[in-house]
Amino acid sequence: MTRLRRTLGVVAGTVLALTVVACDAGSKAGSDGSGGGASKSGEDALSVGLVAVPASLDFTTVDGAAIPQALLNNVYDGLVKLDQNGEIQPDLAKSWQVSDDRKTYTFDLVDNATFSNGEKFTADDAVFSINRVMSDWTISLKAAMDVVQEAKALSPSQLQVTLKEPSNDWLYRMTTRIGAMFSKTGVDNLATKPVGTGAYTLAKFNRGDSIALARNDDYWGKKPFFASVTLKYFKDATALNNALITGTIDVIGTVQAPESLAQLTKDDRFQVIEGVTNGEVVLSFNDSKAPFTDKRVRQAVRYAIDHKALVDTCWAGRGTLIGSMVPPTDPWYEDLTGVYPHDPEKAKALLAQAGQSSPTLRLRLPSLPYAQSCGQVVKSQLAQAGINAKIDTLEFPAQWLQTVFTNHDYDMSIVAHVEPHDMAAVFGNPKYYTQYDNPRVQKLFAAADTGTEQEQADDLKQAARTLSEDAAADWLFLLPNLVVAEKGITGLPKNAIAESFDLTRLARS
Amino acid sequence: MTAALAPAVARGWRRRRNPSLVVGAVLVALVVLTALVSFVWTPHDPTFVEASVRLRGPGSGYWLGTDKFGHDVVSQLMVGARTTLFVGVVAVSVAAVLGVPLGLLAGMAPRWTGELVMRLLDLLLAFPALLLAIMLGAAFGASTLTAMVAIGIATVPSFARITRSGTLQVMSTDYALAARAAGRRPSAVAVRHALPNVASLVIVQASVSFAIAILSEAALSFLGFGTPPPTPSWGRMLQESQELLFVAPRLALFPGIAIALAVLGFNLLGDGLRDRFDPRLEDQR
Repeated sequence: MTRLRRTLGVVAGTVLALTVVACDAGSKAGSDGSGGGASKSGEDALSVGLVAVPASLDFTTVDGAAIPQALLNNVYDGLVKLDQNGEIQPDLAKSWQVSDDRKTYTFDLVDNATFSNGEKFTADDAVFSINRVMSDWTISLKAAMDVVQEAKALSPSQLQVTLKEPSNDWLYRMTTRIGAMFSKTGVDNLATKPVGTGAYTLAKFNRGDSIALARNDDYWGKKPFFASVTLKYFKDATALNNALITGTIDVIGTVQAPESLAQLTKDDRFQVIEGVTNGEVVLSFNDSKAPFTDKRVRQAVRYAIDHKALVDTCWAGRGTLIGSMVPPTDPWYEDLTGVYPHDPEKAKALLAQAGQSSPTLRLRLPSLPYAQSCGQVVKSQLAQAGINAKIDTLEFPAQWLQTVFTNHDYDMSIVAHVEPHDMAAVFGNPKYYTQYDNPRVQKLFAAADTGTEQEQADDLKQAARTLSEDAAADWLFLLPNLVVAEKGITGLPKNAIAESFDLTRLARS
Repeated sequence: MTAALAPAVARGWRRRRNPSLVVGAVLVALVVLTALVSFVWTPHDPTFVEASVRLRGPGSGYWLGTDKFGHDVVSQLMVGARTTLFVGVVAVSVAAVLGVPLGLLAGMAPRWTGELVMRLLDLLLAFPALLLAIMLGAAFGASTLTAMVAIGIATVPSFARITRSGTLQVMSTDYALAARAAGRRPSAVAVRHALPNVASLVIVQASVSFAIAILSEAALSFLGFGTPPPTPSWGRMLQESQELLFVAPRLALFPGIAIALAVLGFNLLGDGLRDRFDPRLEDQR
């Protein structure tokens, strides 16, 4: 009988371990997370939990959204920055004028900004920073600077940038990481020692664990409330939630498991702020491959999806319905959610017309939570219109990038396109994985970039409508920005549409 | 009852009423029956997504409630049993088909060949099964097939070892010696004499390996390297319940219990069968 007991013990132990692995991961990551030694303490210290871990602090050579999320607008300032409504606002540039041919930008710079290495910020640093993007940066996003012909300092506080051709996109991109201003004498050790003019300076970087920031007392603008802010990184969504509940952190930067919000909303210690992001969750079609070359098949899929039920089921009802590739914070947004209302009968009829009454299509999903979860709902909804979607999971990023993104070996996939203003990148290039080749839309994208601001908005609005009507893809929903914080913390960013998590306006009341 | 008789009576009791065997057999039969029934009947369509009934508690329409997709948990568990058994059967078959011949070879071949085979298998044994499965999953895509093959390959050494030790015993017996002296070919000796004698050991090992395979499949599905959605799998049910652990803990509880019972069943069955078959335990009976 001892053997029986031992077996029982082993089995019970193993299963218990499997069942509660989430809790386990939570407590472990929680204790690891406080490894920086700067656990929350005092009124003027803040601890923010985030998910994507920066591999380095140098966003000039290392890709990834985590680095600008932590450093942009906090440690580095740009000439301009993006506000919560998606509009461009002054930062190190107090104001700017655009020439009539819209190729020359003249910026008036603030005259009291200094870098954290003690150097004064001048127009020369701005010229240096802009030129350095073109000469030294290696990340692919640097291409947005290629349109610049010349940057020169008219005086220590006046900068002139000349473009090769008019570009509405350029100034917008200057709000992202490529617009960050560096000191001529502060770029030797960017991976570990960032030097910027921001409201915070780097205090300590524990790779893979945390970033500690300290208030810059020489900051040229309004000084932030918190004297020290620690960004803590959690690999696991449940661990992140647990850290907030146990008081290890004060703020969850963005909730990754919306289902678990129920647990946080009923706790009256916390406030939940829901806003929007730039992350369009796209049900993409391989547009150059049969049967998706037939518009009626694409339309049928769009009619077959019940978007409201989908977001309720797979993303806990959090998220905004969008009918095209434009988030509501972009000036050319138009509500296109009614273009393809849920209608399985119409979907069946369209398929029959196309001679494809019960097609079998491969739905190749990246191994990401939203894709895995929503893929099952898509499959079930398509089945009701007679479409058999065969799901297989590809490990993300490597396998998915190779198979779907590079080799275009798929019929449908689900992925969130999180870059701002990415409509032209996803549907304007026939070589992109969507393989969408529509000369009319391509012309609109080209015209939008070189036209006036009004023309840009009109052209992009028309492009978005065309994409939606032509069923270039289906837009499942827009990922929500879900911030959970202790009550009393103010100034939290509602929308996550800029590249940075702006810490400078946070306060505790 | 005299003192002299007591051991014999106890032995008889153990022989007739082997509690491990009975409990194990009942649990395994339960899992097999559930899986078989799921082919012809489940309370609801296990993969049909219905937003309006999501996260229902246990009740009359849904005995164990529904998950976040509105899937009926009972139906999912039933079809999940199918996946579990399928993975177990294939993984154990792969392991036995590769492991038993290798064990026979190692037991009958000249000394250096046997040693070489065993040391190579030691290498494989030293490699963690889950890691192998994750590697295969990353290379060939996560699927039930890769999970089964990986678990099977990782279990080959235990079959080979047990077969080899049994074969070595058989080869040292007089009848095996006689057969070889009479000019029987080694393959004939292996099939006629060695194999029947190691069969019981292999069956015991198969039962224990089955339990390990169930746990491995659950772990792989939990990590996203096993059965892809929407095919129900106990491991993935656990994974999907993770973010709901505080909202609907029952969603983790039910697949957890199912895995526990199945693993317990196969382990007890293995123990019971060993009590029956293993000649080395004969003296203790």
